[in-house]
Amino acid sequence: MDDARDLMERRLSRDKFLKLAAAAGGAGLLAGHAGAAGAARARLSDESGKLQVLDWVGYEVPQLYGPYLKKYPGEKPKFTFMTNEANALSKMAGGLKPDVVRPYVGYVPDFADTGLFQPWNPKLIPNLKQLNPAMVKAGQYKGQQWGIPEDWGFDKILYRTDKVKPKERSWSLLFDDRYGGKIAWFDDLNQLVVAGYYLGFKKPYDQSDAELKQSQKFLKSKKHLARTFWTSETDMQKDFASGDLWIAYAWPADWAAMKAKGLKVAYMTPKEGAISWIGMLMLGKGTPRPMHAHAYADAWSSKQTGDWLETNYAYGHSNTLARPKSKDLLKALQLSNPRSLLEPNAHIDRDIPRRALYAKLWEEVKAS
Amino acid sequence: MARRRLDTTTTSLLGPPLVWLVVFFLLPIGLVGAYSVDALHGIDLFAETHKVTLSAWRDFVHSDVYLGLFWKSVKMSLIVSVVVVALAYPVAYYLALSGTKRKYVLLLVLIAPFLTSYLLRVLAWKVILGNEGVLNSFLVWTGIRSPDHPVSQLLYSRFAVILVLTYVWVPFVALPIFVSLESLDRRLLEAASDLGASRWQAFRRVTLPLSMPGIMAGFLFVFIPTVGEFVTPSLVGGTSGYMYGNQISDLFSTGFPDWQTGSVLALFLLAVVAALTVVFARFLQVRQVTAG
Repeated sequence: MDDARDLMERRLSRDKFLKLAAAAGGAGLLAGHAGAAGAARARLSDESGKLQVLDWVGYEVPQLYGPYLKKYPGEKPKFTFMTNEANALSKMAGGLKPDVVRPYVGYVPDFADTGLFQPWNPKLIPNLKQLNPAMVKAGQYKGQQWGIPEDWGFDKILYRTDKVKPKERSWSLLFDDRYGGKIAWFDDLNQLVVAGYYLGFKKPYDQSDAELKQSQKFLKSKKHLARTFWTSETDMQKDFASGDLWIAYAWPADWAAMKAKGLKVAYMTPKEGAISWIGMLMLGKGTPRPMHAHAYADAWSSKQTGDWLETNYAYGHSNTLARPKSKDLLKALQLSNPRSLLEPNAHIDRDIPRRALYAKLWEEVKAS
Repeated sequence: MARRRLDTTTTSLLGPPLVWLVVFFLLPIGLVGAYSVDALHGIDLFAETHKVTLSAWRDFVHSDVYLGLFWKSVKMSLIVSVVVVALAYPVAYYLALSGTKRKYVLLLVLIAPFLTSYLLRVLAWKVILGNEGVLNSFLVWTGIRSPDHPVSQLLYSRFAVILVLTYVWVPFVALPIFVSLESLDRRLLEAASDLGASRWQAFRRVTLPLSMPGIMAGFLFVFIPTVGEFVTPSLVGGTSGYMYGNQISDLFSTGFPDWQTGSVLALFLLAVVAALTVVFARFLQVRQVTAG
């Protein structure tokens, strides 16, 4: 509670505080009953406007932050969508000031270093205790909690079992000449990491100059096989469902969506290892709505949200009590095993020391 | 006194557009120029130190990737421009010279698609060109293709980009050609006929040369925006229809932020387009279009 008061006082200027206090008192006098006073108190706690959330498409559905809406009825956050972390930063560079943003775990230090974010106050997120400790630790940077872990999942290969016969369980399926024009890569520098795993490099996240050159050359040589580089999951799913694509670099939700459409699909774990990720909620620096932002992160951390996310999107959730309704889903995605996303089962997304260079090389692949 | 009034009038008339030009054109170009030499920079992910440098320009000049992509975009844009002019000319010719009384109604019909959103018009082509789209469904229905082997090259290809851009730009180009043909002195055609020219000869030696300013204006109308186009290729182009404009857009927003390289690419495009405009305007006297 003290922490809450600290945050409130830090954010409310004296003038504004007096105005709000006057409004609260005035409203109380005029209305003369408890309901009006309650409304005034609610206004007092209103931190100027709706919570601004910069997030991925699909995460705007109210079921994912039900407890927040219960706490702040009628105050649905305002969502802006990001296509990847760089896109989020570009939007912020363009003047967008979100209260909450969701990069993935490898970007937390980079985002923290931009000066656009501030650490969370863990005491204001009671559900944090229920979250997987390893994931909570992954959100820490320089001794503070910069990221609150929520969703997690994999990058693997989605393919049509009735059309595609893989030679082996490998990332090679993304580069298979037999299926040229039916393959979708993800429009992200992570493709260089995938190429690194496929080519057998020891540190795909930190490749040497020679290795990077080899990865880039390999991707350029196979680029003609890819029909699209997808940025929008929705577009990729549409193309996959319509038969324009048979093979795609994909997330668990894509697999679940295609299964729901009745397509014969498999979600392959490559022998080189899947890539795993954890979504991290980060708090905008100087947010005028710190209490709302913490309540939002707390809602996202709840078992209720976790259950819904796992059942409907087939992503894992950091809340250790969360479970999907379907046992098949539980088994197929190893959702009950939070270690499934860690080594040696999968390569967790991590900081790329030379991310700018990776990005430049990836852009050159696209332009080639 | 009259001269002073004239000066005041000139200043008040020219002032607002000049301010507009400086604030919304020259200043932004200056800012982009500053980004290109790293005098200004976007968000730092790595707390890098910055100093003014021409490194991005050097990399660009020595990169066959970016220049190759630019050349690819120029070729695609040239194809679109030529096809559009070839398609728009007969339409404009009919409207201007057929003597139909309903030409303005037909002109309205021609530009009617502009009443709908650009994005919708482009997205509609995805419905037409996709594997399960209108065209492939028709081919399957007629038995020309089997359901397992639709024509995949229709969507997410250079062909798709060229087709959609052609569709989008035909009405735009028909208008300047229509204007130039309508202002044609019909007595010249009568004279050609009196002197024994066939209709084809009259068209080749009189109508076509006199409508050339309209054709060139229409050509430029298409070429300049399409060479930097990025919306259509991003929707229907796939990997093979990726254009120079997409690269600029990606460098600024959808990819990793590299505003320095993005600015270099944008300025290069601006310089090429400006140079082409000057050349066309000088040698082909585009102003004749407006002069009639």
